[in-house]
Amino acid sequence: MAISPPTGSRTRLAIVVAASVTLVVVGLQDAPVIRDVREGAATVTDPIAGAVETVTSPVRNAWHGITDYEDLENENAELREQLEEAQGGEITSSDAERQLADLSLVLELPYATDLPKVVARVVSGPRSNFSHAVQIDKGTDAGIAVGMPVATGAGLAGKVTQVTASSATVDLITDPEFRVGVRIASTGDLGTARGQGRGDPLAVDSSISPRAQVADGTGVVTSGVDRSAFPPGIPVGTVSSTRPGSGGLALEVVVEPAVDFNRLSYLSVLKWQPS
Amino acid sequence: MKGRRWIGLRAALVLVVALLLQLTVVSDLRVAGVIGDLMLALVVAAGMTGGADRGVVYGFAAGLLYDLLLDTPFGLSALTYALVGYAVGLAGSALLRTSGWWPVVIAAVAGAVQATLYTSLGNLVGVAYPFGDLPAIALVMAGWCALLVLPLIRVMWWVHGHAEPDRLEVLLR
Repeated sequence: MAISPPTGSRTRLAIVVAASVTLVVVGLQDAPVIRDVREGAATVTDPIAGAVETVTSPVRNAWHGITDYEDLENENAELREQLEEAQGGEITSSDAERQLADLSLVLELPYATDLPKVVARVVSGPRSNFSHAVQIDKGTDAGIAVGMPVATGAGLAGKVTQVTASSATVDLITDPEFRVGVRIASTGDLGTARGQGRGDPLAVDSSISPRAQVADGTGVVTSGVDRSAFPPGIPVGTVSSTRPGSGGLALEVVVEPAVDFNRLSYLSVLKWQPS
Repeated sequence: MKGRRWIGLRAALVLVVALLLQLTVVSDLRVAGVIGDLMLALVVAAGMTGGADRGVVYGFAAGLLYDLLLDTPFGLSALTYALVGYAVGLAGSALLRTSGWWPVVIAAVAGAVQATLYTSLGNLVGVAYPFGDLPAIALVMAGWCALLVLPLIRVMWWVHGHAEPDRLEVLLR
């Protein structure tokens, strides 16, 4: 059967497509007007969304109770095992802590010497399947600004990309658009890590010599080189594998993030901004 | 006939309520880590009940509202929802005289197509959305749209008035 829409429909479609493409192009230029409109929309909707979340929490809790039961059982068993190991390691940990404190003084590790920070609670996860951002419950009222790095005790989690008076959006390092300058801890080699999607490791594009020896498990930290968007020394993850990059001119390093993005409850916003 | 102003207000109310539910409830009800899409299901219902015209307008409006509150490329949801809404409207009109389960089938296909379109266009504009995640996303989106389209068709009837008797009869057969 023939499908022949009226001319008016086709005209309307053409106008809508043209308008959408224009918005996409403008949006990709990071136009301030788009940023302002989004911040305005967030300011208006966040309080209402918070109220709706409170009202609908029984529904969501019931859903998680059904879908997460097996995960909770496994996590329980894992935690019991870790507790036993921790109790056994308690005697040696105090000595390790002293050594780390001494080493930090010698190496002047910025991450170990406390940047001012704001601790915020994660109030919602990604809002679509293509989003890699979470929302936290602190904003400009707490001194948070766009561009500030965000971390957990394990390492770098992301950076602030949008902020209102009482909330902020944190883009996670798993976002395919996320870039961070990194340093391989053992060799000092520099590279740029990029996200590859939720649940996937980071890929480090190099600059790293194909002759570099990078063992699995090697730590990766932010490089903090000149004009970097992040301070130096924040743990990013550990090397999980390496392979020759395309053309054989550089080593491609795959990094498992230090942060467990399935367990984000609280984040620390580091009150630091690039020079 | 209902006043156009009241239709516009009801449509705006439905869009805003759907958006709030999407942000608060639906985004938390994950299946295999994938989020459903209430906004898309609403667009599909609009296309099914009002044809290509209504589908494209609802698609653009719903997508734009959603884009305001996401960190993804601004306008991309508006574009993909509008295209899907238009296509669903065409398909719904073409299948007017067939079995009443076609809305569910079309909705499922629309969900999968939108996920594919979004991933593809996202890569086209420079955002490297992984295609490896696409099968799971497409499947869950298809399921959500199929599940929600029939109740949302009734919501569209409330907004715009019931369809003519022959369309109504076919949709519910």
